[in-house]
Amino acid sequence: MRILLVEDDPDLSRQLKLALSDAGYAVDHAPDGEEGHFLGETEPYDAVVLDLGLPKMDGVSVLERWRRENVATPVLILTARDNWSQKVAGFDAGADDYLTKPFHTEELLARLRALVRRSAGHASPNLSCGGLRLDPRAARASVNGEPLRLTSLEYRLLHYMMLHQGRVISRTELVEHLYDQDFDRDSNTIEVFIGRVRKKIGPDRIETVRGLGYRIMALEGETEA
Amino acid sequence: MSRRPRLWFQRLRRSSLVLRLVMLAGVWSIGMLVLAGFGLNHLFREAAVQRFEAGLEESILGLQAETTVDGGQLYAPPMTDVRAYRPFSGFYWQIAGVTAEDTTSPLVRSRSLWDSTLAAPAAVVAQARATPGKSVFFDTVDPRGKPLHAAAQLATVPGRTAPVLFMAAENRESIDQAAERFVYIIVGALVVLGGGLILAVYLQVRVGLAPLFGLRREVALVRRGKAERLVGVYPAELSPLAGELNALVAHNQDVVERQRTHVGNLAHALKTPLAVMLTEARQTPGDLSDVVERQAAAMQSHVEHHLRRARAAARAQTIGERTDVSQVLDELSITMERIFQSKGVTIDWRAPDDLCFRGERQDLQEVVGNILENAGIWCKRRIKVTAEPLDVDWLSITVEDDGPGLPAERRGEVLKRGARLDESAPGSGLGLAIVDELSRAYGGEVALDDAVMGGLKVVVKLPRAET
Repeated sequence: MRILLVEDDPDLSRQLKLALSDAGYAVDHAPDGEEGHFLGETEPYDAVVLDLGLPKMDGVSVLERWRRENVATPVLILTARDNWSQKVAGFDAGADDYLTKPFHTEELLARLRALVRRSAGHASPNLSCGGLRLDPRAARASVNGEPLRLTSLEYRLLHYMMLHQGRVISRTELVEHLYDQDFDRDSNTIEVFIGRVRKKIGPDRIETVRGLGYRIMALEGETEA
Repeated sequence: MSRRPRLWFQRLRRSSLVLRLVMLAGVWSIGMLVLAGFGLNHLFREAAVQRFEAGLEESILGLQAETTVDGGQLYAPPMTDVRAYRPFSGFYWQIAGVTAEDTTSPLVRSRSLWDSTLAAPAAVVAQARATPGKSVFFDTVDPRGKPLHAAAQLATVPGRTAPVLFMAAENRESIDQAAERFVYIIVGALVVLGGGLILAVYLQVRVGLAPLFGLRREVALVRRGKAERLVGVYPAELSPLAGELNALVAHNQDVVERQRTHVGNLAHALKTPLAVMLTEARQTPGDLSDVVERQAAAMQSHVEHHLRRARAAARAQTIGERTDVSQVLDELSITMERIFQSKGVTIDWRAPDDLCFRGERQDLQEVVGNILENAGIWCKRRIKVTAEPLDVDWLSITVEDDGPGLPAERRGEVLKRGARLDESAPGSGLGLAIVDELSRAYGGEVALDDAVMGGLKVVVKLPRAET
């Protein structure tokens, strides 16, 4: 298992390298954002531990660039900034987990284990529909290369529709797929979610078939990417 | 400490501008009107007296012209005015001889005097002697005690060597009555005029100051977060003020933003060294490392608490901020589902599209983020978030989970700072206490209850911005 550690504080880097090696990982260390970005882009790591406050290029920019370059390596963010707007910005950039400084080394190791396990799991093929792409392994989707920010319910809805693209799917079918049996099923629910997904992927990719349900399709003139 | 009593105009300084302007204009115009009243009254009285005296003088000249002397006896001509014959009619005349001591001895007199005479004070006689051929006027009373205005003139009659004093007198009540009537009329007219003036001044001030009231309304809208800046068009005197107010709003937002950045920088600067100390201490067990670990943990909690307090103090004072609630719920749901991905947490959020929080985005993120994190820690799989307007000024955000919930008697504790109910669950333990502190800073509140799904229900009330 190879881990990339991007951290500028020399003492913390030493401690973390030691702890990660003890836990059986092979650790590469980058002391600044530029080197970190280069290593993450060129080497196949199983996970990255990324500090946000870095010299030369900050952690969020590094992460954003990786995700645009389709580097899907799971990333755990280390941050001293523990307010929610910073965390949201981190996850928005494509992070998979975060840890606030100061932290216990055991907790970092536990989270890293979970991250690696998750990404190594069920390998299913990517789905695409026109410029819309969906990667079930990382639970991420994108439109024309731009990453989409979806909640799990929105993701589930889109995933199901893309699995059955071209077919009209009724509301009942969608509700049943979206919720466990005991969740309250209000008839407006699907309209709400279709509305939100349309806002994020563009209004014309999901067609309303009156009285029957919804259908997802590629835009006119769009070729399968 | 004794306070000097304020003078009326000092007190006026603090009262309303409208009142001030109306009062000043009122005092000025009432003063002028009173002066005008006195002036007019004086002029009227003078004119009336002059006309009256002209009549008396006419009578004296008539007497002089026709009076003759025959055998040492004075004969007065017949008068055309019948009042001269009717007893005590109010019109009298008399021709009298004058002694060296300025006393008079009546020679001839009008029938109306009956058996009495007109008395001329010595001062009047002396003055008449000093100005022969000119009338001297004085006040006296008739035999029935009625007030008279009289004229006296010393003249020589052909055929008699010693000059005689011609006198004519008439009841002066007619002048006094006319003057009195005139006073009533003039006072009435001036009161109406004064009232009209003050009303006109009031209207003028209200209309003239209307832009000022408009400015006040706009500033109130900005303060309540219903507008971001002043947009009204103001007259030349007020538009610099409006401009300065807008600059102040912008400056205020800027200061808060900078303060927040400084606070964040400080947090970042302190936390990495703390992490290093904690880790180092854990790796080399011993007495020293125990102390270091404990103290570092204490430092961490102090830093966190005071930084949050500083941030909380800076909020709620910002002007004109508004935040889209559904956007924040969307972002935080995505973030939270990632954080609790291994648990497979689903967050189902609902909010009207146009619902806005009156305050900073970061603060709403902090409030909802902390509630959601707490729900994420305790829930089995599901979290439900509902945001809805309560009324024009308030909104509520409800977060429910399907976890074990919290017994009613322990709910008070979690809102206290630093309370951490279960050391085994991760998290700083400050979460709900921060939510409580923040929502209070905005004038809102937090309530804990049982969720329908079985877990804890957290309801937070926050100010709503008008859409």
